[in-house]
Amino acid sequence: MITQSATQAIEVTINGKTYRRVVESRQLLVHFIRDTLGLTGTHIGCDTGSCGACSIIMNGKLVKSCMLLAPQADGAVIETVEGLAHDGELSALQESFRDHHGLQCGYCTPGMLMAATYLLRNNPSPSEEEIRRGIKGNICRCTGYVNIVRSIKAVADGAQLDMGDGVAKEV
Amino acid sequence: MLLKSVEYVRPDSVAQAIEILNSNEGAALLAGGQSLVNILKHRVASVDVLVDIATLEELRFVESRPDGSIEIGACITYDELDHSELIHSSHEMIAWVASHIEDQQIRNRGTIGGNCCLSDPTNNFPPLLVAMDATMNIQSSSGMRQVRAEEFFKGYLMTAIQPGEILKSITVPPVPADVGIGYVSLSVGEDSKAIVRSSAWVKLNGVVQEARVVLARVSPIPVRYQPMEEALRGSSATPEDIARAASVIGSDFEPVADSHGSSEYRREMARVVAKRAVLEAVEKVRGEGGSK
Ligand SMILES: Cc1cc2nc3c(=O)[nH]c(=O)nc-3n(C[C@H](O)[C@H](O)[C@H](O)COP(=O)(O)OP(=O)(O)OC[C@H]3O[C@@H](n4cnc5c(N)ncnc54)[C@H](O)[C@@H]3O)c2cc1C
Ligand code: FES
Ligand code: FES
Repeated sequence: MITQSATQAIEVTINGKTYRRVVESRQLLVHFIRDTLGLTGTHIGCDTGSCGACSIIMNGKLVKSCMLLAPQADGAVIETVEGLAHDGELSALQESFRDHHGLQCGYCTPGMLMAATYLLRNNPSPSEEEIRRGIKGNICRCTGYVNIVRSIKAVADGAQLDMGDGVAKEV
Repeated sequence: MLLKSVEYVRPDSVAQAIEILNSNEGAALLAGGQSLVNILKHRVASVDVLVDIATLEELRFVESRPDGSIEIGACITYDELDHSELIHSSHEMIAWVASHIEDQQIRNRGTIGGNCCLSDPTNNFPPLLVAMDATMNIQSSSGMRQVRAEEFFKGYLMTAIQPGEILKSITVPPVPADVGIGYVSLSVGEDSKAIVRSSAWVKLNGVVQEARVVLARVSPIPVRYQPMEEALRGSSATPEDIARAASVIGSDFEPVADSHGSSEYRREMARVVAKRAVLEAVEKVRGEGGSK
């Protein structure tokens, strides 16, 4: 049992690094990630679970980090947008977003990339409809989605298949 | 957003969670948090202790019973329902409804128990579970009690759950070959909050033996519309029969009005979605609509 308290000592592994912190039980996970740990790649848009900008992958599941409290993540393994590139090399999906103009202001992009990463991991060759359903929880005010869908489709159809560890590999 | 200060606890068992509820008047159960966390942000509920039950194994199972019914633990997520082979093989409609809740992120966290215990009129599961005549299994320090779904939903954000009680699981009766289930929503965007919704359960043997027609978003809780059920009983369930039955939703029926639709509009649309839900149910029995 995790004992009843207004503060909690939590341990969270993010992008392979383990963090131990004492947090207020009321702290939202997104604030823990951004403010406490300084990982500001994860964005906050609406703060009500509607826009998807704060999307992360927690224990293998895509979730909105503004809809969780930090103590709920105790013991969790989390991936954020910072974990997609490896040794300065962008993931295939990130490259594809750049190549296909899948972003404009970039505000939605971290959440969009996490949603797309999750989608392709579970469904490596999605149809356009499946892509659109996969990113339904992520709002983009700039692109009109067309180039985002194109960016994801290109990776799904294309030569760079290994989305799992975020490292692009030619096949 | 900054929440009011709150204590957090993760119990090891349902019994322990109940003990904590009983010894803290301001305690609330936290399941997927996909509604409660927003409620806390907006400070519309005053909660002193959050009792996180999301990971309790006792609440996380899907089991079929010898009679063909299925029991679903309260903390099974929508995504898990959608990926359960058991659910797909015996109660397809539950998986379908789960897969059409809002978006992937909500489906990965939100639970069937939370969906029911919130009793929000826009939530997807309450009308389906009333139509399927599910039983809600509720645990407290004095043991278990059962409440039919039809009696579980009491009002806007109100259910039969009393202080110190936890919804443990939901039992859904079998869906035999002569039963079809329909579920139709009218909403602005795909899979977004419904303006009017209907779920229908139809037992058909040449003619309609029995029917349950549930309307949602017309009142704070899902309601069975008995005059339409009676109009269907004994009919051969042709599209004309079904349209005629739906037309009994008359001017005495007064749905709620809000910014999404007037009472008149909702009544008109209730006829449309109820008709389509029954049609879908009937087509499933007659093998024209695929699975149950
Ligand atoms: C952007 C957005 C869109 C959404 N759209 C939809 C939609 O279209 N359709 C839909 O159905 N839902 C929708 N939801 C709500 C979502 O489905 C929630 O998951 C659901 O309402 C509550 O389930 P939860 O597990 O997240 O519960 P919580 O938020 O954790 O809890 C909800 C309430 O139920 C109580 N509770 C939870 N579990 C139990 C239990 N086992 N026993 C007793 N009490 C319990 C809690 O104390 C709380 O009062 C949406 C949510 C968001 C953020
Ligand atoms: S900031 Fe979390 S969904 Fe918008
Ligand atoms: S690129 Fe600006 S919101 Fe999506």
